[in-house]
Amino acid sequence: MFAWHVSGQLAAYADRQLDAQDVSRTERHLHGCGRCRRELEQVRFGIAALDDLPLAKAPDAIWLSLEAALDRPQPVLPGARVRTWRLAWVAAALFIAGAVGVLWRLNREPQVQWDVTRLEGSPRIGSRTLTAAGHVGPGDSIETDGTSRLHVKVGTIGSVDVAAETRIRIVNTSPSEHRLALSSGEIYAKISAPPRIFFVDTPAGTAIDLGCEYRLQCDRAGSGLLRVFTGWVSYERNGRESLVPAGAVCVTRAPHGPGTPYFENASAAFTSALGEFDFGTRSPEALGTLIQESRVRDTLTLWHLLSRVSASDRPKVFERMAALSPPPAGVTRDRILALEAPALEQWKQELAWTW
Amino acid sequence: LIRGKEIPLFKPISLVAFAGLVMSHVQAEEFSIQVGSPVATQSYSAKSAAFAFRTRGCADPSSVEAGGTAEGLVGGKRQTIRLAKVSSPSAGTFAVFREWPNEGVWVANITARCAGATAGALVAVGPNGFLRESSKFFARPATGAEVEALLKTLAARPGDIGGATK
Repeated sequence: MFAWHVSGQLAAYADRQLDAQDVSRTERHLHGCGRCRRELEQVRFGIAALDDLPLAKAPDAIWLSLEAALDRPQPVLPGARVRTWRLAWVAAALFIAGAVGVLWRLNREPQVQWDVTRLEGSPRIGSRTLTAAGHVGPGDSIETDGTSRLHVKVGTIGSVDVAAETRIRIVNTSPSEHRLALSSGEIYAKISAPPRIFFVDTPAGTAIDLGCEYRLQCDRAGSGLLRVFTGWVSYERNGRESLVPAGAVCVTRAPHGPGTPYFENASAAFTSALGEFDFGTRSPEALGTLIQESRVRDTLTLWHLLSRVSASDRPKVFERMAALSPPPAGVTRDRILALEAPALEQWKQELAWTW
Repeated sequence: LIRGKEIPLFKPISLVAFAGLVMSHVQAEEFSIQVGSPVATQSYSAKSAAFAFRTRGCADPSSVEAGGTAEGLVGGKRQTIRLAKVSSPSAGTFAVFREWPNEGVWVANITARCAGATAGALVAVGPNGFLRESSKFFARPATGAEVEALLKTLAARPGDIGGATK
């Protein structure tokens, strides 16, 4: 599985041009391949950027001058040759820009409205008070006070319950990307869609749905908690990824962003040491406690620590993990210590059976 | 090469190959069932499953046949439900979806077969998922007595099921 990637399929996948079998295969690979997920992000970013470009019409004067220049007999003079080439370049550039603009316009994804329903109190959508039900679209903000809550139907892929004292903004409602920004407060998301369709931007990072149900809390500074009930969530910030499976949590602290995920039934000493490692001084004692206190299920945390500890500490983490749950055939100590992505991924997939 | 010279060379190679084949079968992993969280299937379509399991030690995982029942003890009365909502996200991997009520204590009785080998598992399940520590694994289908014994154990410790892993 790790000998190949799905780079060549990503544009078609993002454009929903793959058949069901290829979609399934691509998603299976994306689930376990950080490199391809990042490439998919870039593809989607490109599509979104294209989507936002306005279709500009070239001024008539340019076309008239181009036609006049082309009709004019051209004496073979060094200066005139340069001008002709310049005009040709301008014409080519305009043609390409126009064609690309037309294509973007044709491929533009529709931005749909999401249904919202008041659950309690008087939530606000922008400056309006939601009395019963309504709709929201890109750019709309939702705010609840201490006594209000509401339910958002996220297109056809799921729902988000917005808790009291929460501020969110709808960013994108296109079919290939559903994105909202959580400024502060708490949401409960239940999504049934292929991975990386639903995104929540927070001050701590971006929570990316990999097919899941989760509760996300965050204050304005970026401190909070992600708790996952089913599936996986990837909490990402500045290229660092915390993969949080069902049953696990991930603490965020300003200004660090998402910490290392862990299972809540880990020992108190373990969770305390993890807080020290993620947001404190990263003392050797903290790492020692994490290694000593870890159970088989805590390999979730140790697996993340492999790429977060120093190279000199990495062997200690590896040895503990190998003692708790030996790596599968082909995944060697050297490959793990070198942080080879396919080896890490292969081990993670095996470890997931113990999480 | 003279044909007569090939034969003596061929025989030792055949013997070594045969011995290797025999050894590989002797050392092959025993056919067994491993239970885990639905996230282990790496399939978002299995995320809402109660639990997942995979078989190990089968040379051709796509040939694995698996099925089972949910065995319950509700208000002192035994119930059996055939598990119909079982998906297979990949060869040899299965996701079991909840088909049993919240009331009482329940055990999923799973049997898998591969090329004449059979493996069984009793997976303790509850409203919040499955209980890894209470689950039992066998190199054969679980017996009725084993099902009853596990149900009785779970009924005596209802708090365990409430905190099941998921």
